[in-house]
Amino acid sequence: MNRHRARVGYLFVAPFLLVFVAMLVVPLAYAGYLSLFREQLIGGTTFVGLENYARALSDERLLGGVLRVGEFFLIQVPLMLLLGLFFALALDSGMLWLSRFIRLGIFVPYAVPSVVAALMWGYLYGPEFGPIAQLAETLGLPAPNLLGGSLMLGSLANIVTWEFAGYNMIILYAALRAIPSELYEAAAVDGAGAWRTAWNVKIPALRPALLMALIFSVIGSFQLFNEPQLMQRLAPNVIDSAYTPNLYAYSLAFTSQDVNYAAAVSFLLGVVIVAVSYTVQLAANRRRTP
Amino acid sequence: MTTTATAPVTAVARAEGRGIAGHRRSPALTLGMLAFLIYFLLPLFWLVVASTKTMGDLFASFGLWFADDFSLPDNLRRVFTVQDGMYGRWLLNTAIYAVVSAGGAAVLAALGGYGFAKFGFRGNKALFGLVLGAIMVPSTALAIPTYLIFAKIGLVNTPWAIILPSLVNPFGLYLMRIYAEDAVPDSLLEAARIDGAGEFRIFRQVVLRLLAPGFVTVLLFTLVATWNNYFLPLIMLNDPSLYPVTVGLANWAAQATVAGGSGDVVPLVVTGSLLSIIPLVAAFLMLQRYWQGGLATGGVKQ
Amino acid sequence: MTTPRTRWVAGAAAATLFLAGCAGGGSGTATQQPTSRPSSVGQADIDKAMRTPTELTFWTWVPDIEKEVALFEKKYPAINVNVVNAGQGEPQYTKLRTALKAGSGAPDVVQIEFQYIPTFTITGSLLDLRPYGAEALQDRFAEWTWGQVRGKNGEVWAVPQDTGPMGMLYRKDIFDKHGIEPPKTWEEFAAAARKLHAADPGVYLTNLASNQNGAWMGLLWQAGGKPFQMAAADQIRVSANDQVAKKLGTYWGGLVKEGVVSTDPDFTDQWYQALNKGKYATWLTAAWGPVFLSASAKATSGKWRAAPLPQWTAGENKAGNWGGSTSAVIKTTKNPIAAAKFAEFLNTDPDSTKMMATEQFLFPPAKALLSDKSFVDRKPEFYGGQAVNQVFAEISDTVAKDFTWPPFLDQTVNDWDETVGKALADKGDVPAALDQWQQRITSYAESQGFKVAR
Repeated sequence: MNRHRARVGYLFVAPFLLVFVAMLVVPLAYAGYLSLFREQLIGGTTFVGLENYARALSDERLLGGVLRVGEFFLIQVPLMLLLGLFFALALDSGMLWLSRFIRLGIFVPYAVPSVVAALMWGYLYGPEFGPIAQLAETLGLPAPNLLGGSLMLGSLANIVTWEFAGYNMIILYAALRAIPSELYEAAAVDGAGAWRTAWNVKIPALRPALLMALIFSVIGSFQLFNEPQLMQRLAPNVIDSAYTPNLYAYSLAFTSQDVNYAAAVSFLLGVVIVAVSYTVQLAANRRRTP
Repeated sequence: MTTTATAPVTAVARAEGRGIAGHRRSPALTLGMLAFLIYFLLPLFWLVVASTKTMGDLFASFGLWFADDFSLPDNLRRVFTVQDGMYGRWLLNTAIYAVVSAGGAAVLAALGGYGFAKFGFRGNKALFGLVLGAIMVPSTALAIPTYLIFAKIGLVNTPWAIILPSLVNPFGLYLMRIYAEDAVPDSLLEAARIDGAGEFRIFRQVVLRLLAPGFVTVLLFTLVATWNNYFLPLIMLNDPSLYPVTVGLANWAAQATVAGGSGDVVPLVVTGSLLSIIPLVAAFLMLQRYWQGGLATGGVKQ
Repeated sequence: MTTPRTRWVAGAAAATLFLAGCAGGGSGTATQQPTSRPSSVGQADIDKAMRTPTELTFWTWVPDIEKEVALFEKKYPAINVNVVNAGQGEPQYTKLRTALKAGSGAPDVVQIEFQYIPTFTITGSLLDLRPYGAEALQDRFAEWTWGQVRGKNGEVWAVPQDTGPMGMLYRKDIFDKHGIEPPKTWEEFAAAARKLHAADPGVYLTNLASNQNGAWMGLLWQAGGKPFQMAAADQIRVSANDQVAKKLGTYWGGLVKEGVVSTDPDFTDQWYQALNKGKYATWLTAAWGPVFLSASAKATSGKWRAAPLPQWTAGENKAGNWGGSTSAVIKTTKNPIAAAKFAEFLNTDPDSTKMMATEQFLFPPAKALLSDKSFVDRKPEFYGGQAVNQVFAEISDTVAKDFTWPPFLDQTVNDWDETVGKALADKGDVPAALDQWQQRITSYAESQGFKVAR
């Protein structure tokens, strides 16, 4: 590799990196800088070092939010990935009629903005007039309060699953299509049936794709914002301002006017996400090499 | 990062249902999948049904079937005429923001991905790792400082406030990098160089063509991300005539719930929502051959 | 010739300077309040300003207010007012605050609800309107509304636009069916609540919305509560759980716990539905409520009537206020004279105020309109021909004049939702929730540097 070529390489990556630095690194550095100050209505701005971080670490509302999205992650992500995996395997098995139609139908929700998704499900959940409640009423059953405190997390999980199961299906399906034919031929020679092929050939081959989907789901879960923010209107007493850490950071910045503390909270949330992603990756890798 | 021999472009081209001797279609599995399909399409069905209803029927009639009055034409007319046709403006804004952002992000990702894949310059790995790590930064951590910085340089409440941050797509760069590694053979590059072609001519005339499916994938997914973006425009824009359709709809929905608002906006929200998702669904359907191929790469490799 | 390394260092230094610059400017902290009154602007300057071509930006969520704005533009052709709907209530304040913090993008004139005025004066964001002749307007407005826009040192921070003195709308048909008289005291109200719910378990005498701090504050106002008092700009007395507040909390908490009063969130689809279906026999609401209700519960036309709120002591006549707005001028405006005169015109010009009362159905703060026959003698069908405006015009006279708001209202509202509102929704211990609310407000106030007295 000569020096000229190396310089050309820089030129190719420069536009991306330039925008990357301007739109990501600089704001992030600025947020880091802000997080070291405290601004009060009375008394103005003072440098406080890491005080905001110390406060965040003992903030029960933040901890509650982190635990809640952690719970959300543990419930929703396995469900969504299993569904996606099942759909992808079913599509790839060639045992379906109408497979193209089914594939696109399941994927369509991904193209629906979360604003619209929350709106639609909000109506469907409605405890007085929503179709679910109406159906239960017709059947003489007590209507479940899907917007109530105990079911809200599940109702949110349902919306997110609805939005992203199809997306994960497509990723996994695309990966399945890329498995080299030789692997299948070998399995066929061994006389493996559809299920054994799926178990022995397909799922191992999907490992990288699954891991990637998992990492993205960690990030998505811990950054949960749009859906709860939009559902807040329908269930103001259930979804409070610290329901998720991102919602909390938003409320700190825009309601409590505490941009500095909000920056610290966001930074800590980023650390949590990195830690969880890393743990997930580590666990996956350890299982691969027993 | 491992490489396999499979060229991503060919992945989709294969016929479905391979590898199983004499595979038969299964009615049970098909029925099961159709049941799931109902779940995924039900809310959309509700949206279609609801957009044909009057305000009164929305709350009075059964949600999942049509009411006696068919007011879709009336709802459509109102969506496009209230507030001097603001909704049409929102749709147009969304289209502009999404297309410019997606085009820009795809070009940046293609250039960068190719650069990272095929040029072993110093710091290549470290820079790439830095970019990937950025995926994990929470959106709120960026939104607030970005707002303050944009305000200083006068970008708040302009289309740039939406477009510029959307140009960076770390996942797109990641996808293009692995895509370029596979789809662009080194031998082809060497041959072109020996012919005396400049690096940028090679990129324009040879590489870009090979990267097309990956390019379309990044384009489409950035398109979706920008089209559906809510948080960023929510804080960046004050002027309703600059809103994208998501913020506009949320605004209408909020109007329906605050004291003093006119009571008849719910049908507008519903019908507007239905209209807002049609363009994206159409784009996905028309371009599916490309993006499914592009995604295969991202999924297979690590 | 610079090496790459020195260039990098220079770049980093520049970036640091840039960031430091960002942090320094546009601060939203309290500025020195003027203690002496600012000197007045002369009539010659005003005339000159009103003839100079000027662009004003006005944030408001009043629908179709362009009509009133057109009256102003017709009188002052040189001035062009750009009307922007930046959201209703809180979303607008959020945008306003970020714009103020950022130092650009704020409007010249803005619609602000009464309760938010101190929140924006503590940050020095509003222009004192005294130099522009605002003090002369005092006699035109109901006394308590003027009290709401005055500052501690006599400043005039805004011009009242509309108000919301609280009364009770009730379903005459339901009352008649169960032999209930409109309650005159809260004691009678509680008895009626029990009686009604026992007779028909599907109906509640009222719905005290668990997300509606505004209504709660109005009821507290009526009861004589003074939860927030500023001793000085940096000293606040918080009494959110004093005796009066506890009386209110015990009363409503009890009725909610008994299950005879519902607590559904208001202005939601479910709530509209319930109003139409007759789930609530009263709505304790403000003067803007009657018109709003007639548009949202068409199915119940002719069945409603209006009355004053029940009283804590029989024979008394007291009310609180819920909602209503003002027009304020943002301090950063480049055209203070035109902006101040616009705020004045909009809310004092006879044609403009009449239009707001009769076309946008805003309840007027102007004395002239509150006694204007064409306004108070309206007899809408929805209320069986009762002159509801007259009822609320009389209530307006009974609103206490010395209720004041905290300088960080978003925070107190948010904290209320999560303590008192939550207790109402969960049928929990409301008096205990008031203690929590008090605790959260005081700790927030202290963290913001206020000296807090309890």
